[in-house]
Amino acid sequence: MSGGNVKLESLTKRFGDVVAVDDISVEIQPGEFFSLLGPSGCGKTTTLRMVAGFEPPTDGTILLDGVDVGNWGPNRRNVNTVFQSYALFPFLTVAENVAFGMKYKSVPKPEMKTRVAEALELVQLSGYENRRPNQLSGGQQQRVALARALVLRPSVLLLDEPLGALDAKLRRTLQVELGVLQKQVGITFLYVTHDQEEALTMSDRMAVMNHGRIVQLGTPEEVYNEPADAYVADFLGVSNLMDAQVERAGDGTSPCRLRLGDFILDAEAGQLDATGAVKLAIRPERIHVNPYETGGANRVPGMVERLVFLGSTTHVYVRLATGAALQTLVRNDGGELPYSQGTPVSVALPADALRVLPDPGVSVAEIRDETAGDQLLDLTGTSTS
Amino acid sequence: MGRRQDTYDRRNRWLWIGLAAPGAIWLLVLFVAPFYVMLSVAGGSVNSFFQTAVPIWNPLQWSSANLTAVWHDIVGPGSFLGPPALRTVLYTAIATVISLAIAYPVAYFVSRYAGRRKTLFLVLLIAPFWVSYMMRMLAWIDLLQQGGFFNRALSFVGLPGNTDWLGGKSVTVIMGLVYGYIPYLILVLYAFLDRIDQSLIEAARDLGLSKWRTFWSVTVPLSKPAIIAGTFITVLPMLGDYFTNQLMSGAPSTTMIGNAIEGQLESPGQTGQGAVLALMLLVVLLIPMIYYVVSTARTSREMA
Amino acid sequence: MASTVETPVSGASHLEPVAWRSRPRGNPWRRPWAMEGFTWLYIIWSIVPIAIAVLFSFNKGASQATWQGFSTKWYVGSQVTSVLHNPSLHHAVIQTLVLGGLTTAICVPIGVGFAIGIDRWHSRTSNGLNFVMIFSFVIPELLLAVALFLLVTQALTFIRLGTPAEVAGLVVWNISWPAIIVRARLASIGRTYEEAAADLGASRMGAIYRVLIPLLMPAIFASAVLVFASTVDDFVIVEQLSSTANTQPMSVLIYSNVHGGLSGPSLNALATIMLFVSLLAALIGFVAYRWMTRGERTKGTTEALTGIAGI
Repeated sequence: MSGGNVKLESLTKRFGDVVAVDDISVEIQPGEFFSLLGPSGCGKTTTLRMVAGFEPPTDGTILLDGVDVGNWGPNRRNVNTVFQSYALFPFLTVAENVAFGMKYKSVPKPEMKTRVAEALELVQLSGYENRRPNQLSGGQQQRVALARALVLRPSVLLLDEPLGALDAKLRRTLQVELGVLQKQVGITFLYVTHDQEEALTMSDRMAVMNHGRIVQLGTPEEVYNEPADAYVADFLGVSNLMDAQVERAGDGTSPCRLRLGDFILDAEAGQLDATGAVKLAIRPERIHVNPYETGGANRVPGMVERLVFLGSTTHVYVRLATGAALQTLVRNDGGELPYSQGTPVSVALPADALRVLPDPGVSVAEIRDETAGDQLLDLTGTSTS
Repeated sequence: MGRRQDTYDRRNRWLWIGLAAPGAIWLLVLFVAPFYVMLSVAGGSVNSFFQTAVPIWNPLQWSSANLTAVWHDIVGPGSFLGPPALRTVLYTAIATVISLAIAYPVAYFVSRYAGRRKTLFLVLLIAPFWVSYMMRMLAWIDLLQQGGFFNRALSFVGLPGNTDWLGGKSVTVIMGLVYGYIPYLILVLYAFLDRIDQSLIEAARDLGLSKWRTFWSVTVPLSKPAIIAGTFITVLPMLGDYFTNQLMSGAPSTTMIGNAIEGQLESPGQTGQGAVLALMLLVVLLIPMIYYVVSTARTSREMA
Repeated sequence: MASTVETPVSGASHLEPVAWRSRPRGNPWRRPWAMEGFTWLYIIWSIVPIAIAVLFSFNKGASQATWQGFSTKWYVGSQVTSVLHNPSLHHAVIQTLVLGGLTTAICVPIGVGFAIGIDRWHSRTSNGLNFVMIFSFVIPELLLAVALFLLVTQALTFIRLGTPAEVAGLVVWNISWPAIIVRARLASIGRTYEEAAADLGASRMGAIYRVLIPLLMPAIFASAVLVFASTVDDFVIVEQLSSTANTQPMSVLIYSNVHGGLSGPSLNALATIMLFVSLLAALIGFVAYRWMTRGERTKGTTEALTGIAGI
């Protein structure tokens, strides 16, 4: 079956007093790899389960290819799920697992066999037909779960943090493989994860969720480079959030002038017409750390607090004279770094990389707590301005 | 995930009710109802011609004749039920203490130190389950007979070998009780002890406690639920035991309450009184039973 | 304070290492010989009497203490006293098997359904029913047997004494085995597999039939074996609810003949048969259990057994 358009309109789910999903609306295009990203408890899994049919929505509609399936059971919808725990039936072989759903589609026996073989080939597990799930590794089990869902040719495939139980290296390999697989098969993938790296790697578009709402919707580049607020900025990678005051708001032509502690900086990204207290964000790869005497615009003196060797890169933790703690990184390209722990330096925050974000009224530390997850190592603790 | 469970369970409510129904009906008809019948017989009268019990179904019409008769049997001038009652409590207490003293070390050893031989030990400990109770008692009857192995072994080492062990000795009955009930106890203790997190004990050792101290300060408190559960499933059935005495002794000097109940029920005209006695025993057991059930339900809810 | 060890953190003198006040005594890793010996003693005390009784059922003579040579006369040889030829002994074996089979066949399906239903039907009624089921587990059997006898003779007289009443009573008495064991297993299974089945197209009953029951098979089997063994062994309920001598199973026959009556070795032979019937059931159950769980990572034996404890 073709199609694969998923439309959620004002979808809400309440569990007693708790609002798990709060009035979300989004349209997913056929063939899109769409991710729902957010920390635990943000409502992403509940949303997925509603699309799958395991939870009835409290309010709103779920349209699959234009059909309102809100009240349909999971077995009627042309949607299949890959569970976090894979849920492979331990008493069946791999082939029997994959063939499980075909019985309900009245697929004739010979065709079943060929389709099972096709599905296993698709996930690169040909020849594993007679193995049992407990004889497979985690990654292999996950692929069987994929095959079992894909063999039924659903219009949408739902994936509930499928890579969560795997170790880091395997996870990265499978992220790429899943992306390739999706393009190969051409089905809409609705992917739920709390790992921003996964979402950035695989998605065509993604929705960042928090407290049951969609906070930002866009492509990975848009969400990473142009986060709508401090929360999204900090959730997707390191944001180096700082508190600042607007001196002069920007208009169409001039940048926003801000006061960061004792220093004046210009910012050319984000909400330039903001006034009053704002948050500033800058990605670590855009920061430059230079010798103390270096001059130029948008520079703040600081001190290198710690260097962490991470193999291909070194993370540099600097503390600005204003008290703010920033992270940046340098590639280890064979040369020696011109500074070490304790060296006074001059930190450049290029205006076009410096992003003004509305102040949500909470401290940087509190935002960090909310988005806590797979961040880069933060060894400087919670000490910020 | 609690939420996922709630939705699935709630959506399929009628399915669960349907599945549970046959068992529920069976329990109600053949477990709960019989006790009402027992109440009706206890509060009933006797057909003087046939000497059979005539139940009175209406609670408002229950007579207290049987109750009074039994009460006199217990505390009145011609009382004969007092001794069995006391004896029952005594035997049960002693047998339970002995059983615990044996079962705990065994269960402790198998759960903590058996290592690779754990399955072997478990099989050996479970074996009595498969050996029927009859066979186990029969085996001891054979051994304790006048010409049996036990007496012969005694005379072999010079002790008198002609004691009639099966003729009404409390020791034999108590040993029979222990032998009969201890497999259940061991298994329950084992199940609980096996679940004790080894790292708690290791942490205690790591913090400086000696083996003894660790045992008393850590293992014993952690074993409390095990011992309580084990005691319950030993004591409660044991109080109603009558067959151990019959097999191991058969003499009136060692009768337990169970024998008294059975005797009365068999005697013509005394069925009602037997019912009263049985109900008395039930009431006595009801409070600890409720306590046990409530605490089990609470623990399983906590563990869920 | 006279420590010669340098402390990295100043002012924390209470954290300095202290010389051991006493030498560690003994080997902390030595094997617990005493406990192991005690355990073996218990096992011997537990099993040896049975072994002797079994052995002497093959005794040529009638003595329980003097070995007079090997013979199977108590089983098949003697025309009068062997199990094969003596009618009442003969019938007892058959009756035991009949009771065991019927009870298991009724009790297990009902018990399994009960376990699944009660586990997921969250209400006060289900909690109450669960209480009742646990009561049936701890109550002295005599009380239940008596109550059932009165029920059957005074009220529901259509349930005739003898095999029908016995089976009815045995099913009630044993329903806690499948109820508890299957329920314990249910807890570790969760709902995910059924959801996966539904996701793949199965209806509610379909998911239970195709997925839940196969997942529960080991527990179902374990409980079936226990019900069978418990029924074979039972004599309290059976005795109370029996009618004529013809419906006496082995357990009751032995019980009523222990102090006199049939000769000793015949009883031994009968009891040994009972033993082997139970053992066979246990063996079949164990083998079937291992075969069924060959696709799963479970602890096997220990899991089935711990289910009994009501956890």
